[in-house]
Amino acid sequence: MSIIRAENLHFTYDDGTQALRGINLSIEAGQKIALLGANGSGKSTFFLCLNGINRPKEGTLYLHEKPYDYSKQGLLELRSKVGIVFQDPDNQLFSASVFQEISFGALNIGIPEDEAKERVEAAIEELEITPFREKPTHFLSGGQKKQVSVADILVMNPEVIVFDEPAAALDPKHTQILNHLVEKLSAKGITVIISTHDVDHAFAWADEVILFQKGLVLRHGKPEEVFSHEEDLHKTNLTKPAALRLFDNLVEAGVLSADEPIPRNLDMLEKYIRERRID
Amino acid sequence: MIIVDKLCYSSKLRYMNAEEKFAFSIITLLICVISRSLICALFLLLAMGILTVKIAGTPLRYYRKLMLIPLTFLILSTIAIVINFSHTPLDAFAIPVGSIYITGSWQGILKATQLIATAMAAVSCLYFLSLTTPMTDILEVLRKCHCPLIFLELMLLIYRFLFVLLDIADAINISQHSRLGNKDLKTAYHSFSNMVSVLFVRSIKKSNALFDAMESRCYDGTIRVLSQNYPPRKKEIILMVLFDLFLIILIIGGKLI
Repeated sequence: MSIIRAENLHFTYDDGTQALRGINLSIEAGQKIALLGANGSGKSTFFLCLNGINRPKEGTLYLHEKPYDYSKQGLLELRSKVGIVFQDPDNQLFSASVFQEISFGALNIGIPEDEAKERVEAAIEELEITPFREKPTHFLSGGQKKQVSVADILVMNPEVIVFDEPAAALDPKHTQILNHLVEKLSAKGITVIISTHDVDHAFAWADEVILFQKGLVLRHGKPEEVFSHEEDLHKTNLTKPAALRLFDNLVEAGVLSADEPIPRNLDMLEKYIRERRID
Repeated sequence: MIIVDKLCYSSKLRYMNAEEKFAFSIITLLICVISRSLICALFLLLAMGILTVKIAGTPLRYYRKLMLIPLTFLILSTIAIVINFSHTPLDAFAIPVGSIYITGSWQGILKATQLIATAMAAVSCLYFLSLTTPMTDILEVLRKCHCPLIFLELMLLIYRFLFVLLDIADAINISQHSRLGNKDLKTAYHSFSNMVSVLFVRSIKKSNALFDAMESRCYDGTIRVLSQNYPPRKKEIILMVLFDLFLIILIIGGKLI
């Protein structure tokens, strides 16, 4: 059974921009989903729809196969199950105190203060915020702010966490920390949806890849399958992942056999090549 | 302002109970202002200086700089009390200028000194609070004092976004400099006005984005957050009470003499 399903989703902004023009997709619980697409393809708009901030003009979203309920109580429930980590933490963090900031969501869903405190502490621990928990948010680095903004959502115990371009403006080290934290969340059984422009990471990490183009789903499937459609990648301003490109070329050159499972990252490909030299 | 913020986060008294600090500085300030006693004010200036610099660990050079800011204003505004224009010379000094005198009385000088000392002592009480207590802790105390929520929420958001907008202003300023946006006075004015209008637009955009982000965390019109407080210590409270008692004795003693 799907955890989130979109049926013929349309969304138009007040200025007339058609951001979504009939999205159909279904997401299984516990999956790692990478959402790719050119700038302006509707990724962020879609995310805001998932969380009930944007109400689709046409079409329906389903959570656990039940259509979204936009009543006050319904939205409260929806938003506690589907959380968004926004792209710019400066738009998300509203308090100067890390502890206060993280507690906001937990208190809003109405859990008692004692339990909220425990959840905040657990999130601080889990997302490795302890070293800078006493610093004011305006003195945190970009990566640290990101960690706090993930904790913001985690305290609400969501079933789905949506990351809007989490690696934007992060240095490689902080990107790595973030990836490691995201991995932790998936291991807990949380469904993670990430929008990204990093094809290599999407290819290595995701269980499923979705390609958006001009407000429509262009492709949706296993990474190996989606990334093999070069013309679609071209249409969405993307390139083939390095590991896949190199593998394809090596197969073509007769160095590697096409029967091997497709390597999802460069390390795996390197292993193939090393093993071959020993033969 | 930013320097005060930076200093208070590294203060040694930061993790002291905020209500204690708040009550101490406000009560001491009230004693000082109500009594208008010169001895009390001078003693407070010294005591609060030692508290803030030695015990809370604020670097002396910053403390001195911060104290000098209000002092300049005070001296300028008390000139009017000290200096009079009159046909008859007063007892302290008199400089004849044509047919009138620029003159002053001892009483006026005493009054001005008292005023400056009291005001500076009051400022030192407030600096003690703001150099040891982060804004979020102060807001928490105000909440416990039943300050209207709307003010507290506004203060919380303004405080946070001051830094966000300052960062943006900084970035715009640098990019203007790198394109010779400040090459002469006229261009500089022009660049500045552009920056202000861009900041205005940005702040509206930011506030929309913030609202979305808060809504997505089930915001319903009231900002609810957990407070993080540090337990009060008996020893500190006793010391503070003793301090204020001593101050009152000092004032009464001063009046008797």
